[in-house]
Amino acid sequence: MLFRSEEGIVVWSRRRGRTSGEALPLATVWALAQAWYGDRLRPDFRGRSQADAEAIFRRVGLTSAFWAFDR
Amino acid sequence: MSVAADADFDWRLRTEVYRGFADEGRAPSDEALAAALAVERDAIRAGLERLHDRHALLLDPADRSIRMANPFSAVPTPFHVRIGERRYWANCAWRALGIPAALHADGKIDATYADDGDPVAIAIANGALRGDSGIVHFPLPVARWYDDQIET
Repeated sequence: MLFRSEEGIVVWSRRRGRTSGEALPLATVWALAQAWYGDRLRPDFRGRSQADAEAIFRRVGLTSAFWAFDR
Repeated sequence: MSVAADADFDWRLRTEVYRGFADEGRAPSDEALAAALAVERDAIRAGLERLHDRHALLLDPADRSIRMANPFSAVPTPFHVRIGERRYWANCAWRALGIPAALHADGKIDATYADDGDPVAIAIANGALRGDSGIVHFPLPVARWYDDQIET
């Protein structure tokens, strides 16, 4: 979902009794989308390993435990 | 078919599913997939179930139709993407950006802010992000992304 601010995420999550998760600015998400989905239509796409996924996250600056498979 | 032959067929099936979404903005029918791959409909059904099991796409829990092949949604959502004359839906803000990324094309995204329901308009122009600002919420950590693909 898309919010105006991180405060909006906190309020929304609290109302639903859920954790706030992670909040990223649109610019970061556009960089992530390009890295993650840029090859999705290639006929030779064969999915990606957890290691490959984490490499993509690191490439766009996502290095917290939220973005690791082995937490 | 052998396991190896199944795997080869499944990846070709996946390619045709994505081609359908990219070209038409909706999931291709079983009949269209069967014609494209020159197989019987039963083979398409079995292949789609295998692709669902490996999280390559998501089938609807009720009727087993293709519900999503990320970043594309087969059903209308609040995230509407326009690429030229073509129209698409995405399940979330991230996947809405994933559509112009996957198509390597400029486009426009219409959605609403979850805070207040106001409209938000985003564009990709010459590969760059334009339009309204915003914060994208990722509710679940990556280790749980397959707990519920519709949620994430």
